[in-house]
Amino acid sequence: MSSAQLPANLSEQTVREISERRDEPEWLLEARLDALDALDAIDLPDVIQTPGRRWTNLEALDFESLVDPLNQADETERTADEGVDVLTFTDALEAHPDLVESAFGSTIDPQENYLTALSAALFTTGTVVYVPEGVDAEDVTIRAEMNSRSLFSHTLVITEESSSVTILESIESGAESDDARYFSNLVEIDAGENSYVQYGSLQNLAEDTYSYSLKRADVGTYATVNWIEGNLGSRLTRSDVESELNGDSAETKIVGAFFGHDEQHFDVNARVWHNAENTTADLVTRGVLDDAARSVYEGVQDVGRDAWNTSSYQRENTLMLSDESEADASPKLIIHNHDTEASHSATVGQVDQEDLFYMVSRAIHPEKARNMLVEGFFVPVLDEIDVDEFREDLEELIAARLR
Amino acid sequence: MSSEQDHLKETDTEARFDFKKEETSAFQTEKGLTEETVRVISEDKDEPEWMLKRRLRALEQFQEMPMPTDWPGQPDLSEVDIAEIVPYIRPDVDVRAGVDDWTELPDEIKDTFDKLGIPEAEKNALSGVGAQYESEVVYQNMQERWEEKGVIFCNMDEAVQEHEEIVREHFMTKCVPPSDNKFAALHGAVWSGGSFVYVPEDVTVEMPVQAYFRMNSEGMGQFEHTLIVAEKGSEVHYIEGCSAPKYSAFNLHSGGVEVFVGEDAHVQYSTVQNWSKNTYNLNTKRALVEAGGRMEWISGSMGSKATMLYPSSVLKGRGASDNHITIAFAGEGQNIDTGAKVYHNAPNTKSTIESKSISKDGGRTNYRGLVHIADGAENSSTAVECDALMFDNESTSDTMPYMEINESKVDVAHEATVGKIGDEDIFYLQSRGLDDDDAKQMIVSGFIEPITEELPIEYAVELNRLVELEMEGSLG
Repeated sequence: MSSAQLPANLSEQTVREISERRDEPEWLLEARLDALDALDAIDLPDVIQTPGRRWTNLEALDFESLVDPLNQADETERTADEGVDVLTFTDALEAHPDLVESAFGSTIDPQENYLTALSAALFTTGTVVYVPEGVDAEDVTIRAEMNSRSLFSHTLVITEESSSVTILESIESGAESDDARYFSNLVEIDAGENSYVQYGSLQNLAEDTYSYSLKRADVGTYATVNWIEGNLGSRLTRSDVESELNGDSAETKIVGAFFGHDEQHFDVNARVWHNAENTTADLVTRGVLDDAARSVYEGVQDVGRDAWNTSSYQRENTLMLSDESEADASPKLIIHNHDTEASHSATVGQVDQEDLFYMVSRAIHPEKARNMLVEGFFVPVLDEIDVDEFREDLEELIAARLR
Repeated sequence: MSSEQDHLKETDTEARFDFKKEETSAFQTEKGLTEETVRVISEDKDEPEWMLKRRLRALEQFQEMPMPTDWPGQPDLSEVDIAEIVPYIRPDVDVRAGVDDWTELPDEIKDTFDKLGIPEAEKNALSGVGAQYESEVVYQNMQERWEEKGVIFCNMDEAVQEHEEIVREHFMTKCVPPSDNKFAALHGAVWSGGSFVYVPEDVTVEMPVQAYFRMNSEGMGQFEHTLIVAEKGSEVHYIEGCSAPKYSAFNLHSGGVEVFVGEDAHVQYSTVQNWSKNTYNLNTKRALVEAGGRMEWISGSMGSKATMLYPSSVLKGRGASDNHITIAFAGEGQNIDTGAKVYHNAPNTKSTIESKSISKDGGRTNYRGLVHIADGAENSSTAVECDALMFDNESTSDTMPYMEINESKVDVAHEATVGKIGDEDIFYLQSRGLDDDDAKQMIVSGFIEPITEELPIEYAVELNRLVELEMEGSLG
């Protein structure tokens, strides 16, 4: 696979200008320039291929027209709980220079692929959440609105020993636009010993937007990182949510929900690496497809040689509401240690006809009955959400799509 | 177990690896692969012009196609150097199309197959046996009562001459074209030997038809072709067994299997593969299944250094069905990458895939499978179940299923589990007086039982014996 073309409107000068405007330290400028340099040589993220078929066509992304690096604009509201710092990336560079320097790029190598490098070179917004030792924080929210043709964001979450935090991040589009748009978001979580993070993310971008997000956590000893990933908006979304269980007894849950309609394409991926002893992972994804929407799912459970006494579970269920829709799935187990209990399952099907019949026989209108069953289908995902506000938002968006 | 079958156990499966014969071949092509090699093979077999053309076209395609190298977790094929492979060896037997009386075979070949227990198997339970030694079929027999009903079971080379029209229509055209993959193309260029089975309309062959393939020469490639045409309403069970002795150089097995399952016909294809552990086993096996037809693939992959094999069924007609049962056992130095492919291209089609794998002593197993449901294949269902057993943390067990669903009125389910042998199970058996090794062996036998119960008794016995040998190897 050859890498995508370097957009013509992108040069060292562009990157220097972004960095200067934000008055960034030298190390960050260097990291951006290195990422820019690397673009020529690195590939787009891997996409599943089967004989004669490529599940997502990232090559078709035309960065020349999608990316407008010097005119990025967003409006982001951040709310913090007591004792926790929720800062813009630029403010965090002032307040916690060393912390940001050591956390940036520590779980996601900016040069990992073409899209991460592009994001690292060009990001102009982002948030740093810093939870000091022993602090318990609830209801941290980061609500962003994208107001430009392209927007690149970088988020860091650092939890110190025995702290906890629940975070809700949402992204939607501002004003209407005539052009296709591109949104990119990298999220790195460094979860310290015995800390707890729930990171909920709700993507409801306008349906002319192409979106890429890579979220990855480095989960320490006794720490837990739970992800909740909701995808409703965008034209095409490529979303990777990943946990590296690097400390003994680390745990993670990756919970995903998507609901596609019209021509939407969701390429959603959940991956976990068990790198230490006594670690546990549970991956749960539920998706609904209507009209000509298409979903592509890859789930990876990778158990390393030294991951003794591992438990790892994965479930993926897709509900198809229309004949024109398409659901592709590939749940993968890669097991290097026999002291493992691992399983995965995946199903694809339509709304259960017996359930539907039962409800219609109880005098519920067929369409209403179907909608109730779809809402019910998402319950196992909704139940995992700690933040009420997030659960309500997601429920509302699902209900709105069914109307 | 009856005394007739005891020899199968006593033949000592281990001996199949350790004896090898002095090579005394009548004819052998030069190493490597050129147009000249292909022409020589075709000429030596006195083939019609169209077959030579197909071979040459396949050779062209082979040379154009890249080696598969970018599959996630695939076996390392860098050692597979086609230039080092001798594609065609004809044993020193006078009768070109094989002999049909066992006693006419040269002593040396007879001795080899005796050790493998082939004539005994025929006596016991099978309606036809073909045995291939190197590239040529040396022995072929079909019980008379099936012959009378019009059933054909013969050497593939003979079929090209004697049943030219059927072969010309079906040979590497609709089912496995050489363009399918690099090794199918290689196969198309240098294929030799194999079996042709033709079952006329509404004929049921009640006893299994069996073929045995063996490589005895070092640095040898075996490229046998199996073509099965089961007409409307017919039924047949074909069994293939494979082995090769140990040599230091590597061997390449790249067989091609094409099965045509007619309307309402039923074909079962069973394989017990026990190639020596220097063999690269890169096969293409596919069935085209018409309306109401049923295809069953039963495979046990025990041998080889690396296997890449994904028997596939294309369910073309309404109500066609498929059943895959596979078992893979990878010991030290082995990478068994196997699975199943099913294309649901018509309404009311059904598939079930059951895969079991065992990895130990650094061996690697991978279930790689694809289920594709086309738009319009409504009321189709598929159920995939993969279970893996691991013995140690040197070994690797991967599961990589791919599902492509283009139709909403379907029922698609995939399930997989990976785990170690349960300590409680072992404890229970030990408390009943078994030692640790016997307990493990018994658990493994139970684990693969769904596969063994599908096989005729002597194959089930052989499979169990092979598993025992693999297990014992770990204890030495």
